[in-house]
Amino acid sequence: MISAEQLVGEELAEWYALTPQERWQESAKLWEVYLSLGGSLDPEPDTQSPFFDPSAPSSRPVDGRTGLRVIRRGGI
Amino acid sequence: MGGQACVLYGAAEFSRDTDFAILGSQANLSRLRAALAELQAEVIAVPPFELKYLQKGHAIHFRCHASEAAGMRVDVMTRMRGVDAFAKLWPRRSTLIAEDGTSYELMSLPDLVKAKKTQRDKDWPMIRRLVEADYFKHRERPKQNQLRLWFLELRTPELLIELATGHPEPCRKLIKQRSLLKLAAAGEAIDLIGALSEEERLEREADREYWVPLKAELEQLRRARLHDG
Repeated sequence: MISAEQLVGEELAEWYALTPQERWQESAKLWEVYLSLGGSLDPEPDTQSPFFDPSAPSSRPVDGRTGLRVIRRGGI
Repeated sequence: MGGQACVLYGAAEFSRDTDFAILGSQANLSRLRAALAELQAEVIAVPPFELKYLQKGHAIHFRCHASEAAGMRVDVMTRMRGVDAFAKLWPRRSTLIAEDGTSYELMSLPDLVKAKKTQRDKDWPMIRRLVEADYFKHRERPKQNQLRLWFLELRTPELLIELATGHPEPCRKLIKQRSLLKLAAAGEAIDLIGALSEEERLEREADREYWVPLKAELEQLRRARLHDG
């Protein structure tokens, strides 16, 4: 029998092995980190989606700042 | 039914929005309007929040403004390509209870897999993971309905071959419904990879065709919105 670890690697195999409730809790932790880093709540733009509308307005990040900021430039 | 369901079923770790499959009736829409009002949700794209658009197969897209859900995106659909009507989906749903007692009503795994057969790249690895997670969890003592799901929906060549080797009789019976099972039964991995790829291509093409008139309608609604200011 092929093990999940062999097929998809340890990280995903561990995720597969969790109960739905455990996954929900872990996902909630990821949410907290994501939001604390100013992550956008809009889905990633997906040009393959039939719903994709390039003119649609997007929300600001929850912390009001841009999600990615340059903090040091290396002469580029 | 979307990314959040994929988290609970094991295929994803995170989803930024929440998708709901709902019963498309006026009475239910009234209840939904009340719930969305509590979330201070606004429609953020075409089409408008009307039953006729849901019944055609469109999704309605909302953004919430209530403080506890500020910025959250919610999408609502009532009809999806290749997926049964809500009246059939609801009795088949999975109900999960979280530690805080909140219950989550999820589209059943076989229905979710069908709903994910879209034209988008990102849905196909999700289908693979959804079925893999279920397979690894239950393969020691599978029920008939699980075997059926795996034979019809697994997208992992190695696991399809393992499954066909371990359960030759159900495999033989289901070849009529999924011809690539013949390759799995014969252990022909290379050809099986090609057949899975072709299966995906055909589904994606069917989804693109399904959306042609709906996308045209969306474009028309966008133009009308721009025109009306």
